[in-house]
Amino acid sequence: MKLYLAQLWAVAWKDLMVECRSRERVGAMAGFTVLVGVLFNYAIDPTLVRPEDIASGLVWLTIVFAGTLGLGRTFELEAQDGAFQGVLMTPAPRDALFLGKVLSNYVILLVVVFIVLGVFGLFFSLDWGSSPATLVGALALGALGFVAVGTLFSAVSSGTAMGGALLPIILFPLLVPVVIYGTSATGQLLADRPFAEVDGQIRILGAFALVALAVGAVLFRYVVEE
Amino acid sequence: MSAPPLGPRLGGRILGAVLAGALILASPRISFAQVAANELARQTLGLPYWHVFIAYAVVWLLIAGWVISIARRLSEIEKRLGKD
Amino acid sequence: MKSHVATEAAGGGIRWLGGGMSMLGLALMILLHWEVFFWVNTESTMGVVQRIFYVHVPAAWVGVYLAFGIVALCSAVYLWLGDERADMAAVAAAEGGMVFTTIVLLTGPLWGKIAWGTYWTWDPRLTSTLLLWFIYLGYFIVRGSTDNSERGRRFSAVVGIVGALDLPLIHLSVTWFRSLHPQPVVLKPEKPTLDPDMLMTLMTGLLAFTALFLGLIVFRYGLERSRWNLELRTRRTGAA
Repeated sequence: MKLYLAQLWAVAWKDLMVECRSRERVGAMAGFTVLVGVLFNYAIDPTLVRPEDIASGLVWLTIVFAGTLGLGRTFELEAQDGAFQGVLMTPAPRDALFLGKVLSNYVILLVVVFIVLGVFGLFFSLDWGSSPATLVGALALGALGFVAVGTLFSAVSSGTAMGGALLPIILFPLLVPVVIYGTSATGQLLADRPFAEVDGQIRILGAFALVALAVGAVLFRYVVEE
Repeated sequence: MSAPPLGPRLGGRILGAVLAGALILASPRISFAQVAANELARQTLGLPYWHVFIAYAVVWLLIAGWVISIARRLSEIEKRLGKD
Repeated sequence: MKSHVATEAAGGGIRWLGGGMSMLGLALMILLHWEVFFWVNTESTMGVVQRIFYVHVPAAWVGVYLAFGIVALCSAVYLWLGDERADMAAVAAAEGGMVFTTIVLLTGPLWGKIAWGTYWTWDPRLTSTLLLWFIYLGYFIVRGSTDNSERGRRFSAVVGIVGALDLPLIHLSVTWFRSLHPQPVVLKPEKPTLDPDMLMTLMTGLLAFTALFLGLIVFRYGLERSRWNLELRTRRTGAA
């Protein structure tokens, strides 16, 4: 068990180290987020729609789009000079490899979640409700399910000729539950509804994340098998 | 169901009646003049027949298209398999 | 992965099984058309347009439940045992499922325009079926865009399994969403209790579509097997 966690952590640490040095994905996702905020400002007439009313939808869609942008490059760097073959040759089991990849992607996506919250709060002068911790918790649980499915399908899409262009087509239909329960829970928390009302939705986000992690860990070996 | 077999002339007359009926139903002026009870009849008899026919045509077209595509791919592969 | 060389001798079996099933399906389809257009009573609230129901529901049963069930099951068997025949069955069922799901998606709005007053509404079943159609689409894109066909098989099996696991949750969430946001519905008919004639017609439709689907996927399976034989032969001659 201890060895397994060490292997998992080694994969995640390596990816996070690469990301810290290059800042390639976080940079692209952060820039994307800020620019989407600017575009939303002009796409939505604030005299007709109050930004507070649609904030949860904007936040979730930005996270999903920015996340897809970054997730699509999970295996890109290692694919370039066959480095992933080296990773596969290590004694680490495939599921540890997958969970490590999920962990590093998750840390990166959480950074993006905070950027989204900050940027949108600033641009649309939103206040994040009376319990921002619960709000972040709901976003984090939804993001975990998203990252788990997204990492698995990122491995699939980077193995095809279409590459990252394929990822949204196979990923978005599967994300419908995350987007529905995520936006609903976020919207109700932003409207200062009591936690009891969103309890069930947050549980479903958690269940989705757990199932996605388990299924991804099982199926990942068939995606990277050569 | 218990109707006797239709002769060719009777069949033609029925076709004519159906066409005339279609013309009447298609004419908005006549439909406008009709009372509310007939309005419902027009709604459920005029347009919906087209929807039913299109729906059944879609079923046949898609299934036939699939059958043809399977047959073409199969014959092409069989040809290549049989070549050597 | 292990490779099972499909023998040429089984070709006759495929022709008989597929042909027999397809013929049975075709005969039942003709019976269904007679029942629908000349025999069954017109439904009182929806009128003639309700007759679309007799192809819409069977297509949904075949495309959504039967086909996707086969896809998921055979994909899992393929990944687990590495038996190519399971993958052939999965891809055959997926292609048929996509055809029948397209039928559902086209006939549903034709009925909905009359019964609901609009071609498209975010009805949970309609929405889930649309998303299922996209999962099928992803299955085939993934399969087609790999240069290594063995990898394409594995990838599409993964898409099929994850899709099958996610689909109940998708349906649950879109149903829940609808209960949260009532839809503007012009005319919403009450669920009618089927009278015996209608039930009989529906049963004929279900049997006809099931038989036709099974018959045609047997042929599609045969196509995939011939393709596999061709691939084996080119690989063998390439290696020699």
